Amino acid sequence: MFLEILRFEFSYRKNRAATYIYFAILFVLCFAATTSKYVTIGGGSGGQLQPNSPYTLTLMTIIMTFAVTFICSAIMGVAVLRDFENKTESLMFTTTISKFDYLMGRFFGSFCVLVLVYSSIWIAMMLGFSVGRFLPWDPSWKEKTIHVFDMWHYFQPFIFYGITNLFIQASIYFAAGTLSRKPLLIYTQGIILIVLYEITGTITQDLENKTLASLVDPFAVRTFQIYTQYWSPAQKNTMLIPMEGMMLWNRVIWCSVAVLILIATYYSFSFNVVTSSWFKKKKAIKEVVSKIRPESVVIPVVHQFTGFSTHLTQLWKQSLFYAQMVVKEIPFIAIIFVGVVDMIVGSFYFGEMYGTSSYPITANVLGFLSEFDLFFLIIVVFYSGELIWRERTVNINLIVDALPVPDWVSLFAKFFGLMLIYVGLLLFLILFGVTLQVSHGYFNFELSLYFKTLFTDEIAFLIAFTVLSFFVQTIANNKFVGFALMFVFFIANLFLSAMGVEHPLFSFNSGSLGSYSDMNKYGHFVASFTWMKLYWLAFVGVLFVISVLLGVRGTEVLMKTRLKIGQLRLTKPILTIAISTLLLFVSSGFYVYYNTNKLNKYLTKEEQEKVQVDYEKTLKKYENALQPRIVDVNLKVEIYPEDRDFTAEGYFWLKNKTPKVLSEIYIQNDVVHNMKIEYLRFEGGAKIKKNYENFGFTIYQLAKPLAVGDSVKMSFKTKFETKGFVASGSNTNVVYNGTFFNNNYFPSLGYSEDFEIGDDDTRKKYKLPEKERMLEQNNPIGLSQSLFGDDADYIRFEMIIGTSKEQTAIAPGYLQKTWEEQNRKYFHYKMDVPMVNFYSIISADYQIKRAKWHDVNLEIYYNKGHEYNLDKMIESMKSSFDYYGKNFAPYQYRQMRIMEFPRYASFAQSFANTVPFSEGIGFIQKIDDPEKDLDMPFYVTAHELGHQWWGHQVAEARVKGNAMLSETQSQYSALMVMKHSIKPELMQKFLKYELDKYLTGRSRESKKEQPLALVESQGYIHYNKGSVVMYALQDYIGEDKVNKALHDFLSDWKYPSSDGKYKRYPTSHDLIKYFKAETPDSLKYIINDMFETITLFENKTDKVSYKLLPNKSYEVSIKTISEKFRADSSGNEKPIALKDWIDVGVYGEDKDGKDKLLFLQKYQVSKKDNTFKIIVKEKPKKAGIDPINKLIDRHSDDNVKTAVEEEKL
Amino acid sequence: MQLTITNLNKTYSNGVQALQNVNLTINQGMFGLLGPNGAGKSSLMRTIATLQEADTGTITLGDLNVLTQKEEVRKTLGYLPQEFGVYPKVDAITLLNHLAVLKGITNSKERKELVESLLHKTNLWEARKKNLGGYSGGMKQRFGIAQALLASPKLIIVDEPTAGLDPAERNRFLNLLSELGENTIVILSTHIVEDVKELCQDMAVFNKGQVLYKGNPFDAIQEINGKIWRKRIQKAELEEYKKNFTLISDKLIGGSPVIHVLSDGNPDGTFEAINGDLEDVYFTKIFATA
Repeated sequence: MFLEILRFEFSYRKNRAATYIYFAILFVLCFAATTSKYVTIGGGSGGQLQPNSPYTLTLMTIIMTFAVTFICSAIMGVAVLRDFENKTESLMFTTTISKFDYLMGRFFGSFCVLVLVYSSIWIAMMLGFSVGRFLPWDPSWKEKTIHVFDMWHYFQPFIFYGITNLFIQASIYFAAGTLSRKPLLIYTQGIILIVLYEITGTITQDLENKTLASLVDPFAVRTFQIYTQYWSPAQKNTMLIPMEGMMLWNRVIWCSVAVLILIATYYSFSFNVVTSSWFKKKKAIKEVVSKIRPESVVIPVVHQFTGFSTHLTQLWKQSLFYAQMVVKEIPFIAIIFVGVVDMIVGSFYFGEMYGTSSYPITANVLGFLSEFDLFFLIIVVFYSGELIWRERTVNINLIVDALPVPDWVSLFAKFFGLMLIYVGLLLFLILFGVTLQVSHGYFNFELSLYFKTLFTDEIAFLIAFTVLSFFVQTIANNKFVGFALMFVFFIANLFLSAMGVEHPLFSFNSGSLGSYSDMNKYGHFVASFTWMKLYWLAFVGVLFVISVLLGVRGTEVLMKTRLKIGQLRLTKPILTIAISTLLLFVSSGFYVYYNTNKLNKYLTKEEQEKVQVDYEKTLKKYENALQPRIVDVNLKVEIYPEDRDFTAEGYFWLKNKTPKVLSEIYIQNDVVHNMKIEYLRFEGGAKIKKNYENFGFTIYQLAKPLAVGDSVKMSFKTKFETKGFVASGSNTNVVYNGTFFNNNYFPSLGYSEDFEIGDDDTRKKYKLPEKERMLEQNNPIGLSQSLFGDDADYIRFEMIIGTSKEQTAIAPGYLQKTWEEQNRKYFHYKMDVPMVNFYSIISADYQIKRAKWHDVNLEIYYNKGHEYNLDKMIESMKSSFDYYGKNFAPYQYRQMRIMEFPRYASFAQSFANTVPFSEGIGFIQKIDDPEKDLDMPFYVTAHELGHQWWGHQVAEARVKGNAMLSETQSQYSALMVMKHSIKPELMQKFLKYELDKYLTGRSRESKKEQPLALVESQGYIHYNKGSVVMYALQDYIGEDKVNKALHDFLSDWKYPSSDGKYKRYPTSHDLIKYFKAETPDSLKYIINDMFETITLFENKTDKVSYKLLPNKSYEVSIKTISEKFRADSSGNEKPIALKDWIDVGVYGEDKDGKDKLLFLQKYQVSKKDNTFKIIVKEKPKKAGIDPINKLIDRHSDDNVKTAVEEEKL
Repeated sequence: MQLTITNLNKTYSNGVQALQNVNLTINQGMFGLLGPNGAGKSSLMRTIATLQEADTGTITLGDLNVLTQKEEVRKTLGYLPQEFGVYPKVDAITLLNHLAVLKGITNSKERKELVESLLHKTNLWEARKKNLGGYSGGMKQRFGIAQALLASPKLIIVDEPTAGLDPAERNRFLNLLSELGENTIVILSTHIVEDVKELCQDMAVFNKGQVLYKGNPFDAIQEINGKIWRKRIQKAELEEYKKNFTLISDKLIGGSPVIHVLSDGNPDGTFEAINGDLEDVYFTKIFATA
C-alpha cells in the first residue's frame, strides 16, 4: 500500500507541468551560473579559485538548497494539504489505507520528486563545465584551464549536503502543511529556517560562537563557511569537504531533528476530516431564537450617500478593516515574531569590532533596524498578494464587487490597509531602537532622525514594492504566479547590473539616503534621493492606475475583456490622474537624466574600464619617463562647503633631480574627481606639445629646458565643482560638513599607474597582460620612490585655506594666522620642516579638545556629541609618544592633531602631524568593561601615531614588502603601547582576532599569498599577520632587542630620499638585516619562518594529566603533537622538519576562578609526538603547547586541554 | 421602473454559449427565473449585477444602461450570489456594518439601526458577535440575505437563495422577499418550482442560455391545462415510454415510476388526466421543446 501511494504521488507530480517548470528554473539558473559571466551563485570563483573546484561545487550545491526552499515548500507542503484543499480527504480517509502508508507514501513520493527536481542543478553543473567552452557565449572561465571532470566532485556534495538539506526542509514543510492544513503557514516555516541561518551569521561575529553557529544553521552554510574558513586556495581547489567534525555533527543533529519531526507528524496527524485547532476548540454556534420576531421587524429607510467624501469615508473604513484582518493572521504574527527574535539576537552583537561594541547612536541603530527589511519584504510580497486575492480566496468577491464602491477605493483601501500596518511596524521599530539605546544606557534619542529615515527611505521602499506587487498580481491574475513573478523580479534585478544595466533610472526603487553621519547628516544625498524617489513613486503611481483599470471585478478574467472594461473605468478624474502621474514620471525621469548624464558624465562600469584600458594602451610608454620632483607646495584653497565646491590656486616648485636635462613635463590632471585645471603655467614659459584630453594628460614643452639640479615654478589653478547629482558613487570627500580630501585632487607628474586595471580577470577580458601588483625589491625605479609616489621626495609646505564662517579648516603644518574676510574664515598653515608629499585638507564645524605632551600640543577636532573616547585618545597619544620617543626616535613635530571626518569611509590616516579619523570607528566605540573589551580608539590612535615614525620619518621604497616597514611596524608600535597598558588576556584576545583575520584573508587570496617581507598591499598580511609575527618576534628575542633593531634602522635610514645618503628608499630586506643582527643564532630560523616564508604550525595537545607529588607539588604530563608546514603562494603545503622552540604552558586558577599561568617555557621540539613533564606548585587546571597562540596555527583552540588527575584516567 | 434585457448574448472562452439572444422585460415585483443547473441563470444574473460582460445586447434599468453605468446600478442593487463565502475571522455585525459603509450608508446612527434591524430580521441577532467562520450553511445564507437588503435596493437579485435552507428557513425567507416585492424588482433564480409558484407574478423558464417561456405562472398553467397525463409504470418500461411519448417527468413513488406525458389527448388510453401544475410547465418547457 505504501508503495502504491508512493507511486501515485510520484505519477501525480509527473503529470504536473509545475514539476518540469521547477526543474527548468533550477537547471537554467545553474547552467547560467556555470557558463555565463552574468550569473554567479555564492560569490563564484575568480583569481586562484577554480570555477569547478570541489569547494565551489559544494558551495553552489548548498546555496541552491536555499533557492530550492520555495519549490520544496510547494512540493512537500501540499502533499497532504492537497487532499484538504481539493476536499478529497473524506475519500482518502475512508479507504483501508493505514495512516503510516498514507503519510509516508505521500512524504517519500514527494521527496523523490523533490530530489529529482533538485538533481537538475547537478546535471546543469556537470553539463555546464563540460560544454561551456563550446557554447556561443563565453563562460567567465574562458581564458582559464579548469579541472578535468571528476564525477565524485559533483556527486559527493550532492549526496552529503544537497540531499540531507532537502530532507531536513522537506520534513519541516511536510509537517507544517500536514498538521496546520494552511498554505501560508508553510511559508512561515521557510522564514523560520532562513532566520535561523541569519542568526547564525550574526553570532559568528564573535569568534567564541563559531561552534554554536556551526551546529545551529539548518542549511549548513555557516558550518561549511566555518569549516573551510582557513582553507587556502590550493586546498579549495583540490579537497572535497569531508563529512567529519562539525560538518558531520551538523548533519547528524539536523537529520535527527527531521526524523523526529516526521515521527511527531505521524503521531499528531489525525486521520479525521475535521481538525481540532491547535489553540482552542472551535465552538459550534448554537442557534438561539431571538425574542424579537423577525416578522415584526421593520427595516428602516436610510440615506445612501455617494460622492467623493463618502468614498473617502469608505476608503478609511475599509483600510482599517483590512489592516485589522491582516494583523489577526497567525502567519503574520509568526513573521513578526520571528523577525523580532532575529532582531533581539542581533542586538546582542550590535556594532561589533574586535568583540567591542559601538555606542548605539541613532545612526547605528538605524543601520541595525534595516535588518528588518527582509521581513518587510516578506510581508510586502505575501500580504499584498493575499489582500489582492482576499475576497476571491474566501469567495465573497461577488458580493463585494457588486457594492457601489469605485474601483480605486477598493485598491486604495488594500494599499492603505498595508500602509497602516507598515506605519505601525515602523513605529514599533522606533520603539525597539529606543529600547535598545536605553538598554545600552544611551539616552540621546534622536526621534526626528528615526522618523526622517524610516518615514522617507523605508516607507518609499515599502510603497514601491507593495504597488509593484499589486500590479504583478493584477496582471498575472494568479496568486502563485504572482509570487513567482515577484521572485523572478528580485533575481532579475540582481543580475541586471551584472549585465551592464546600471543606471538608477532602470534599477527599481533606486535612490538612497546614504549612510547617516552625525557630522554631515544626510548631506547632499537628500537631493538625489528625493528626485529618485519622486521618479519611482510616479512610476508605481502609473502601475497603480493600470491596476485600478485592469483589476478583476466580477467574473471576467480574460485580459481582452478586462481591457474593454478598463476603458469604461477610465473616467475623467482617473484619466487626469493617469496623465499627471505619467507626466510626473517622465519629467522627473528627464530631470534625473539631465543631472546624471548631462550635468555630470555618466559611464557604465564597462565604459569606465575601457577608458582605463585606453589610458594604459596610449600612455604606458610615458610610465618611466624621467620627470622633475616637487620640492615646494604653496597653495591657497578656497572651500565652499555649502556648494560642495573648492578651488586651489598657487604653485609647486619642480626640481630636476635626474642626471639629464628635462624639456618635457607630463601633467596628469585628476580626472577621477573631474577636476578642471583653469590654468597651468611654467615660469619661463612652456607650450603644450600634446594634450590627451580624455585622460587629463598633457605634455608641456618647456621653453627653457630644465638643467640638472635646476628648479622651475609651476603655477596653476584647479577647480572642483559639484553640479546637480550623479548616478552613483557621489563624492563624499567634499561635503557640507566634514570635507576631507588630499593632494590626489591636484595635478601630478607623469603617468599614473594607479589608473590601470588591477584585477587580472578583468585584464584578461581586455586582452591586457597580467599585472604584478608591485615592483620587485631590486627594481631601481621602485627603489627611487617612496610609497607616496614619484612626484616628490620631501616638500616645503604652506597653505591658506578659506572656508565658511562656521567651519574650521586644517592642513598639515603649524597655524600661522587665522582671520575673517568677506564672511569667510581663513587659516594659514606652514610646515617648518620638510615633509612627504601627502597632505590632507579638512574643513568642518568642530569642537576642540586640547592637551599637552611635554611641549607638543595635542588637539582633537571632533563633532559635538562625540566626546565619548576623547580622553582615551589623548591618553593613547601620550602613551604612544612616550614609548616611541623612548624606544625609536624623538617625535619630529611640535603638534599632533586628530580630526573627525564623516563615516562615509571608516579608516584613520596619518598625515604629517595630522590624523583624520573616521567618526565611524574610534569616536563612537564603546568600551563597557576595560577588563573584557578591547580599547579600539586607544589602539587605532597608537597605530596612526606610529606612522609618524613608520612612514613619515622613514618612508619605504615603493616595492614589494613596503608595507612591512610602515603598516607592520605601526602595528607593532601600537601593540607594544597596548601591551603595557592592558591585561595579557586582552592582548591574547586581540591577537586571536588578528590570527583569524590573517587565516581568513589568505583563504580568499585571489592572486598569490606573499611572505610578509614581500607583501603586495595585502592587508591581511601586513596588518594581521604582521601583528601576530611581530608580537611573537618580541616574545622570542625580547622587546628591547626588537626596539633596538628598529631604533638602529631608523637612525640609519631616517628621511631617505632619491638624492639622500643611500640614493634610494629602504625595503623590508633592509629592516630584516637589523632584526637578524639582534637575533641569537639559535633563533635565526624564526626570521625566515616569520618574514621570508609562509610557515604554518599544527600544534595540538592530546592529553594532559597530573599527579600530586609527595612534596605537595604537581607533576603535569602533557602529550602533544606538533607539525610544521611551508606553503607556497597558492597554499600548497609541504611538511618540513621541526627544530623549533615552542612554548609549553600550564594554567592554574586564581582566587576569582580565572585562568592563571603557572608555567610557561620554550622547549625545542624536533619530533611530531612529544610528552612534557612539568612540575608546578599549584593545582593545574589546563595545559598545552603554544597556549598563547604565538605561532600561526589554524586550529588554535586545540592547543590547550583540561588537566585530568592521573588516578582518574 | 423596469428592467429591460434586449438581445443579450454571451459566449465563454471555452465555447459555451451562456446566453443566446435573451430578451426579457421585468417589472417591479417578484420575477422568477426557472431553469436547471447550468442553464445560464447565474450568467444572466451576474450580467445584470454588473459583474459580467455581455458580448452583444443591452440591459437597461429605468434610464440606466446596466452594462456601462455600473456604478449607478450598484447603488440600487442588492445581490446574493449563488455561492459565497465570508471572511472567517470577522463577526456578523462587523461585516454587515462594514458592507453598509461600502453601500454608502455613512451616517453611523442610521447604519446602526439598519444593521441591527436586518440582523433581527434574519434571525441572526443572537449570533451577531460570532465569527462568520463558525456559521452553519443556513445562517450564512441568511447573512447573505441581510447584506443584500442593505440600503433599500431597487433591484434585488437573489441567485438560488433557498438552496441549503431547511423548510422553516425557506418559508421565512420567502416571506421576507414577498414583503419587499411590491415596489422593488426582485429577480429570483431557482430550480425549485415551488418557490416561483408561491411568490412570483412573473417568470421565465430558461435553458441552455435561452428563454423558453416568459409570462405569468397562472397563464402558463392555463396553457397546459388538459394536456398532462399521468401513469404508473414498471421500471423496465421506462425506456419504452420515453421513446414513444413526450415524457416530461418521471418520479419514483413507492418504488415504481410515475410518469407525466404531454399530449393533447389521452396518449394510449391508459393514462389518467391531471391538472398540470407549474412543475409540469417547467418540465414541458425544458424537455418538450428540446
